[in-house]
Amino acid sequence: MKFSDLLRLSINNLKRRKLRTFLTVLGVIIGTASIVVMVSLGIGQAELQTESIESYASLTTIDVWQGGMFGDGSSEEQKYITDEVLESFEHIPHVTGTSPVLRTNVIAKQGVYEANLQLMGVSREYLEQIDVGEGSIPLDEKNLEFLYGNSVIRDFSNSKTGEGYYTNYEDPDVDLMGKPVFIIFDTSAYYQSQAPQSQDMSQDSGQPKVKPPKKYIVPTAGLVKGSPDDWGQYSYSTYCNVEALKSKLKSIYRKEPIPGQPTDKKGKALNYFVYDNAAVYVDDMDNVKSVQDAIAAMGYQANSNMEWVEQNKKTMQIQQAVLGGIGAVSLLVAAIGIANTMMMSIYERTKEIGVMKVLGCDMGNIRDMFLIESGCIGLMGGTAGIGISYGVSFIINKLYIRNQMMNGYIMPGMDGPGNISRIPLWLILTALVFAVIIGMLAGFFPSRRAMKLSPLSAIRNE
Amino acid sequence: MDNRPIIKVRNLYKIYRVGTNKVYALNGVSFDIYKGEFVAIVGTSGSGKSTLLNMLAGLEPPTKGEITIGSKRVDKMNEKQLVAFRRDNVGFIFQSYNLLNTMNGLENVAMPLMFKGVSRSVREKKAAKYLELMGVADQARHMPNQMSGGQQQRIGIARAMVVDPKIIFADEPTGNLDSKTTMDVLRLMQRVVREQGKTLVMVTHDNTIAAYADKRIRIVDGKIVSIEYGERGTEIEGAETEKEELELSLGLSEGTEA
Repeated sequence: MKFSDLLRLSINNLKRRKLRTFLTVLGVIIGTASIVVMVSLGIGQAELQTESIESYASLTTIDVWQGGMFGDGSSEEQKYITDEVLESFEHIPHVTGTSPVLRTNVIAKQGVYEANLQLMGVSREYLEQIDVGEGSIPLDEKNLEFLYGNSVIRDFSNSKTGEGYYTNYEDPDVDLMGKPVFIIFDTSAYYQSQAPQSQDMSQDSGQPKVKPPKKYIVPTAGLVKGSPDDWGQYSYSTYCNVEALKSKLKSIYRKEPIPGQPTDKKGKALNYFVYDNAAVYVDDMDNVKSVQDAIAAMGYQANSNMEWVEQNKKTMQIQQAVLGGIGAVSLLVAAIGIANTMMMSIYERTKEIGVMKVLGCDMGNIRDMFLIESGCIGLMGGTAGIGISYGVSFIINKLYIRNQMMNGYIMPGMDGPGNISRIPLWLILTALVFAVIIGMLAGFFPSRRAMKLSPLSAIRNE
Repeated sequence: MDNRPIIKVRNLYKIYRVGTNKVYALNGVSFDIYKGEFVAIVGTSGSGKSTLLNMLAGLEPPTKGEITIGSKRVDKMNEKQLVAFRRDNVGFIFQSYNLLNTMNGLENVAMPLMFKGVSRSVREKKAAKYLELMGVADQARHMPNQMSGGQQQRIGIARAMVVDPKIIFADEPTGNLDSKTTMDVLRLMQRVVREQGKTLVMVTHDNTIAAYADKRIRIVDGKIVSIEYGERGTEIEGAETEKEELELSLGLSEGTEA
């Protein structure tokens, strides 16, 4: 028997009992929709979390800190991060780049405004990760240029009145791009030169007056993207090229030890720079873990946001399985409904099946006919169920976003946190295939029963 | 007429167990049917005539004995082979027509060809030819519940013939029809045997109807009591010689059927 004929027979039989077919399909619709919606919520939640982590931190960056400090302290030597060490990190597979992070505190002045800035000397790779709003990233390795975080402006306060953003909540009148900014590197000398002016600091009064350190005009290369209100990984720091910073510091301190840098046993400055920490960039999220392990094996502390994401994923997987399981229960009930419908249908059609067997219809064809029927119920239910779940998902997302707005998590017009219910393509296809398979499984035993019915029942006259 | 029988039955037994009792539905039956014969198996209800037909068509296995159709042993086939055997060699006419209610007249006739895997256009063309032959071409697009009993049975005969079978089995084909339609259907079946050269085996309890056959195998309590030959197309008025037997069996059948 041709497949097209089998299909036509099966569909005609489904059409014959429209209401019953509809009710059975309805069960599958509800079952499929509940699975899809439940799993979509699980997926949505997991992705939302990953996205929120991603929005303020890169997931392919590993933070490396010097090791040995937290060891048992006896035999392990201090593992400093130096250019040489960074070079060795570059050879780890999947590493696309590294950057040292050289931190130093500087004082910035513009007019009456003054700020204590955390300056971070980093490499080109690091700087390229930053979204720049105005200007560009400081790539010049010879002349020092600054890239200010978008919220750095709020660090400035009026040196006469002491007022700043954190006392009066007004952004200070500082123009980092347009007007020159004076930078003082030797902050301790600066404070010492300032100290005698304030009479109440009695402990400083005996010391000789220190000459105020030199001020430098450092041109501004750019500003990190965003308004001072926006919070991001790069909002609060000031960035510059590490090579330019190194040569600047060397020229300022000459033979003196640079503050923050370790010294040798005699208290002399080392002839190389030791970095506070470093960033290692990995080509893909999936390789972060292995690179991180390699760095840890070299004796350094390595942290990444992936650890967090991984942990998160595990929790979410369990949650998804639970949600999917709840949905699967209703599909199971639907499967029982299909089996019941098929059994009813076979009882009704005992005579007809008998006639077909008398007229020479293969037993396999009869079985297939019923399997196709139950598979069709699954397919129809699955298709409609997916349609319904799109609708339900849409409503859930609308309600979720409205709820978020009412609670003040997001403002109208702002980019929302995204949808909580997400239906990826694989979920659709899986659900559809699953519904058809469930339908055919439910129809399997009834169809075998039909196959084995005696053709004699057709001959019996009522 | 061919010398070799198309159906050969030897020492056929069918024994049912009812509790501890053995019931002999067929008790050692042997006969031959030749190609082109119109044979009636006549007997009262419970005589075993339907059991015999079922076994000839391979719908029920015999307890003992041989059934040979053509050169094949029907009693030795498994269910799968039997289905294939029926599909290729046998047509079947039912008492209650047994048309599929979801299909129209044409589709019903074409159904056995569908089981053979014949494409739709070819099988419907062939089905239309047989509908024409049976005089029910106008019913092609009607559903069975829109037809009279006679029309349904003509469709049923067309369906039995569409696969061009060697043998047609008919189980009380006129049992649900009024007397006028019964005559029409019987004449049609006679014509099929005569013009198409088919072998037709019909089961009936009614001697009047059996009189239309070339040969009558009479069964009582699972045994053949007589095999009679008569002229083809014998009219009821002309069946003088069979009058006594006819009355006898009618009386018998009325007693049990009621």
